[in-house]
Amino acid sequence: MGKKSYKLKTLVFTVVALYLIVIIFPFIWVLLASFKPTQEIFGEGAFRLISANPTFENYTNVLHNGILQAMWNSFVVASITSIYVVLVATLAAYAITRFKFRGKNLLLGLILAVSMFPQMIIVGPIYNLFMNLNLTNSYFVVLPYSTITLPVAVFILVTHFNKIPVALEEAATIDGATSLQILAKIVFRLAAPGIFTTAIIVFIAAWNEFLLTVTLNTNKAYHTVPVAISFLRTQFTILWGDVTAATVIVTIPTLIIVLLFQKQIVSGLTSGAVKE
Amino acid sequence: MKRMGFKESLFILPAIVLIAIFSLWPIFKVINYSIFDYQLNDQQKSKLSMEEKFNVDLFMENSDYVGMFLDMNRDSFPEDVQVKVDEVINDVNSFKELLSGKSGFIELSGNLKKQVNDNFNKLSLEVDFFIKNYDFPDRENLRLVMEDMNKCYVRSNFIGLEGYYNALKDERVQDALTHTVVFTIISVFFELVLGLGLALIMNKAMKGQGFIRAISLIPWAIPTTVAALMWGYLYDGSSGIIAYILQTLHILGDSRDMLLTGGGAMASAILADVWKTTPYMALLILAGFQTIPGALYESAKVDGSGIFNTFFKITLPLLKPSILVALLMRTLDAFRVFDLIYVLTGGGPGGSTETMSIYAYKTMFQQTNFGYGSIVVILMVICVAIIAAFYIKILGANVMERD
Repeated sequence: MGKKSYKLKTLVFTVVALYLIVIIFPFIWVLLASFKPTQEIFGEGAFRLISANPTFENYTNVLHNGILQAMWNSFVVASITSIYVVLVATLAAYAITRFKFRGKNLLLGLILAVSMFPQMIIVGPIYNLFMNLNLTNSYFVVLPYSTITLPVAVFILVTHFNKIPVALEEAATIDGATSLQILAKIVFRLAAPGIFTTAIIVFIAAWNEFLLTVTLNTNKAYHTVPVAISFLRTQFTILWGDVTAATVIVTIPTLIIVLLFQKQIVSGLTSGAVKE
Repeated sequence: MKRMGFKESLFILPAIVLIAIFSLWPIFKVINYSIFDYQLNDQQKSKLSMEEKFNVDLFMENSDYVGMFLDMNRDSFPEDVQVKVDEVINDVNSFKELLSGKSGFIELSGNLKKQVNDNFNKLSLEVDFFIKNYDFPDRENLRLVMEDMNKCYVRSNFIGLEGYYNALKDERVQDALTHTVVFTIISVFFELVLGLGLALIMNKAMKGQGFIRAISLIPWAIPTTVAALMWGYLYDGSSGIIAYILQTLHILGDSRDMLLTGGGAMASAILADVWKTTPYMALLILAGFQTIPGALYESAKVDGSGIFNTFFKITLPLLKPSILVALLMRTLDAFRVFDLIYVLTGGGPGGSTETMSIYAYKTMFQQTNFGYGSIVVILMVICVAIIAAFYIKILGANVMERD
């Protein structure tokens, strides 16, 4: 028995270690390559682990190339989206879990359907709408972001609100509190972890959005990280040095968010998917 | 539960407004686009118009020139054709008479529509015949005038279901569908099998679950375009380490085959997708594992159930709902794949990784053909709906019961 469990432990350890290496390897390789001068990225030194002449040249290149502006843009659109989508989704999820109304299943079905259809379907009409209203190349791109983020947010919040006992709210109703007061003073506080989780998931989704930004915001000043990065690959040349340095820089914020909030993210990802 | 009154309905109003404007309205719009020959950079087709329109002012101006050029060049035509030239000059004048008293853009309908159509077609045919077959001093000028003239007749670009018919026959659509299906099935298959295996093992890992989880989240959390470029570097024919390793192991004949052959590019895209989403899949399934009460396993052990028996009789059935939900989400995501392929291969080489999304996007934004692009998108939505319906049928009420 003891020997068997030792074997099992070794197996588990090996597989997990291998798995982690596979996940991390691309990042490590890119990180190492980002310090190589151009002549080492191509040709002989391409497969050397550590650069013979380490340099920050690639980093200064991409920093001059507006990567910080792109990160700021991503931060702005992701923050605005998180705030308004979470607000709207909180109200909706509260109504869905607490009130009886006609067409509730229709509404839920609709939200589910929206989360399933390809985002590509809205891009054409939204492009025309934004052109007509002169909203292209602006932060207004956050409005259509709701299509990708709102359904997820509503589902996570519905799951969380369902876990909060209604007894407290019923007591508050008897004391004469209005629905809005109950939401603000009781539900909001009790559901704070859930709301925070939702905000992080929405933030990451908005930070990573590509399709809408690349079509609506063609001006470089409004490029977000995913779009700015994609432009490093041009038709004829790919500046791998810039690509590696940019990858390292833009991965840092994601890394910080993931390390700080991994519990919340996992609970957010699974509360939509796992039936409890 | 409280009944919803007016005040309470305000709670769902913002969500409904957002969904209506940014999800439902565009869907109706796309369906609308799809029944028109709608092309943004073509003046005649850049609006959805059911009715025919005629620019009288522009016509009057151009027809004056047509009459003038024909009259001035009459002697340059062979004698037997000169009669014909006179006839055409007459036609121009009677056409002008037909429209006398009108100005600006007029909508054509009924009798007038037929008359204008007949006259216009006749006139263009006749003048084009002259331009093609005879040499006269103002030949080039007349050609330019006729080109301008064509702009005054804005025909309806309503085509009904013709576009759908064309799309179904379009080999590029069929190829794109094939690529999408191949990409989806292979990547989701690997993600599921590896994800399930990893979840089983992670569940057994006693220490460092938080660490494993955090690392697993990284590929999922970074922007897809970043992952695509990163893998693009690893696959690169001359400086990519993965391509180099595969060549050294003789899996690849030449390291450049990775992105420059059709099969290699598809495999590259699938590998990158598997790398990015397997950890996510594993986390979803792991969460499912952790909802299975440990007592069940203990009693199975007491009853003398083996590892495999326990896995197939207890674990798998209890995991089924969470696996199916994860599978549904992954299948739909893979079917809609855009960012990854757009940045990694751009649909190439030679269209061998062009998926439905990529084709739709190229049609809409590179060829500015919104009508046809919309049709490709709608075909994609139909596929997505079929996939979703299929899963939901297996799932039973599991998905809908989430509230």
